[in-house]
Amino acid sequence: MLDNLSSSLKDALKKLAGKTVVDRAAVDDLVKDLQRALISSDVNVKLVMELSKAIRTRSLEEEPPKGMNVREHVLRIVYQELVRLVWASTEVKLEPQTILMAGLQGSGKTTTTAKLARYFQKKGMKVGVICADTFRPGAFDQISTLCTKINVPCFGNPQEKDALKITREGLAALKEQELIIVDTQGRHALEAELIKEIIDLNVLTKATHRWLVIDAALGQQASEQAKRFHEAIGIDGVIITKMDGTAKGGGAMSAVAETKSGIAFIGSGETIEDLERFDPDGFISRLLGMGDLKALVERA
Amino acid sequence: MKTLIIDRELIVSEKDLDDALSELELTLLESDVALPATDAIISSVEKNLVGRHRKIGESVDHLVVHALKAALLDVLGQGFDLKAYIAKHERPVKILFTGVNGTGKTTTVAKIGSWLRKEGFTVVIGAGDTYRAGAIEQIAVHAERLGIRVIQHQEGADPSAVLFDTVEYAKAHKIDVVLADTAGRFHNKANLMSQLEKIKRVMKPDLVVYVDEAVAGNDAVTRAFEFDRTVGADAVVLTKADMDSRGGAAISIAHTIGKPLMFLGVGQAYDDIMPFEPATVVEELLEGGA
Ligand SMILES: Nc1nc2c(ncn2[C@@H]2O[C@H](COP(=O)(O)OP(=O)(O)OP(=O)(O)O)[C@@H](O)[C@H]2O)c(=O)[nH]1
Ligand SMILES: Nc1nc2c(ncn2[C@@H]2O[C@H](COP(=O)(O)OP(=O)(O)OP(=O)(O)O)[C@@H](O)[C@H]2O)c(=O)[nH]1
Ligand SMILES: [Mg+2]
Ligand SMILES: [Mg+2]
Repeated sequence: MLDNLSSSLKDALKKLAGKTVVDRAAVDDLVKDLQRALISSDVNVKLVMELSKAIRTRSLEEEPPKGMNVREHVLRIVYQELVRLVWASTEVKLEPQTILMAGLQGSGKTTTTAKLARYFQKKGMKVGVICADTFRPGAFDQISTLCTKINVPCFGNPQEKDALKITREGLAALKEQELIIVDTQGRHALEAELIKEIIDLNVLTKATHRWLVIDAALGQQASEQAKRFHEAIGIDGVIITKMDGTAKGGGAMSAVAETKSGIAFIGSGETIEDLERFDPDGFISRLLGMGDLKALVERA
Repeated sequence: MKTLIIDRELIVSEKDLDDALSELELTLLESDVALPATDAIISSVEKNLVGRHRKIGESVDHLVVHALKAALLDVLGQGFDLKAYIAKHERPVKILFTGVNGTGKTTTVAKIGSWLRKEGFTVVIGAGDTYRAGAIEQIAVHAERLGIRVIQHQEGADPSAVLFDTVEYAKAHKIDVVLADTAGRFHNKANLMSQLEKIKRVMKPDLVVYVDEAVAGNDAVTRAFEFDRTVGADAVVLTKADMDSRGGAAISIAHTIGKPLMFLGVGQAYDDIMPFEPATVVEELLEGGA
């Protein structure tokens, strides 16, 4: 059914292909199909409305560049507007830093912590991990097992219930490491005490980065949840997990819009190696269910 | 003299419905009812109402909301009464939990274990996730806290074997219910899905319970469809309903596979589980727009 959708988007684009003068009705058709494609990829409905309004206005008002047909003109605007949203690809520096992981329950924080540890280790950095999840049964077993596999020191204490105490001790124990990743328990915006805990963890660790881990399948809640996390600790990067499934990650894109941050990494599998840097073109093509949009635009 | 008051009626036209329907369409989409499900529901409501008679004074909005509620309730069906199911079936009743990664399967197994115990049943849990780091410890700690016996093998062992042993244990000890946890897996990974089919062949579950989360967006449709198609699903549990979501995933899933919802997970504590009530979900869902 999603294939139908993207093919209707393609049909709408086809209608514009032969045209040299921008046709209002055809643009409206295209915008409608675009809205449907974005909504079915879980982009926040309000954001979709804003986006499509901007695309419609620009398509109708801007003069197509010389030699560009209407289809290419509109496509270019679609592409530009979407890229603008996810553009701020978070810079990942290879220097001493502390990364605080944040996110909803089950989003993939712990797995991603291990993947990041591996990523930076391969770049030659000395990495340590702190398990600040004092809640989930087996949390320390999970992260320490993963860390053992890659030979990264992992500090934690399954007996201790105070995440701040563990983290304080962990920071001291791992002070030889250049880069520290703090894995935290899952939480959501309505859990006031847990939101307070992550604020405290952020203050305590003086984290260089606060990355929000978002499941590719997260729906319309993504914006609101991201907003609350952002208000609490200032999110400066989003990681989208589980992109090896069939979800499109529109929720994560909404989270990026909400936090005015960028997408740092993509999780694409369950093993420690399944982590990729973000590629806006691939992401947007998948979001719209179309082939390589950038190639189309560049050809234009 | 007789006063001539005729109860006048108007015929509802497509045009009358347009505004009300597009508003409700947005409400559904903003509540995470997936696009294909939203399309189907809205068009069925429209088809249902066009040409109907409406009394003067009865607003179109009212008519539409009423019809939509009925349509949503129809999609959701009656829910699933686990207690009644167990009462009617030969023991042990074997329940297999499936779903994609991180939706809350393991926690749900623990919660349902706790719930069943309170309802007077005996329970054994099978640690069928032998793959993910820390998975066996996770379910073992839950089981220990609840005083429920858990059958486990080593990390990396064949999950079918663990769950087979769990069923054998239940038979030998006259346990009422077997709760079988499994590793999260994506429906587009053929090898993992066939592992699940093997588990099913070996342990022969009475019920396959598909677990997804209330905050899932449109992918809820695709994965529910695929799980139902490959390993089947007899009932659904929707977790994380406490995350402020309006739970449109319930509609997406029910519309796609037509299977009853059994429980809602509403938090991380063992008691944070509620038998699924369709009417409550529909009210929540339409709160924003109706
Ligand atoms: N296929 C796939 N699975 C993933 C990916 N990232 C995480 N997972 C799986 O998702 C599930 C949840 O991951 P965790 O890392 O435990 O999630 P978490 O956010 O730490 O969970 P809590 O600590 O309970 O909040 C596990 O089964 C992981 O293996 C990914 O990119 N692809
Ligand atoms: N807020 C909330 N969190 C939940 C709920 N159910 C489960 N969780 C949390 O979600 C996270 C993932 O739950 P698990 O039970 O480990 O999920 P799973 O499906 O077994 O995960 P994998 O085995 O890795 O695929 C944990 O932190 C749970 O505590 C719920 O109803 N509400
Ligand atoms: Mg974790
Ligand atoms: Mg599990």
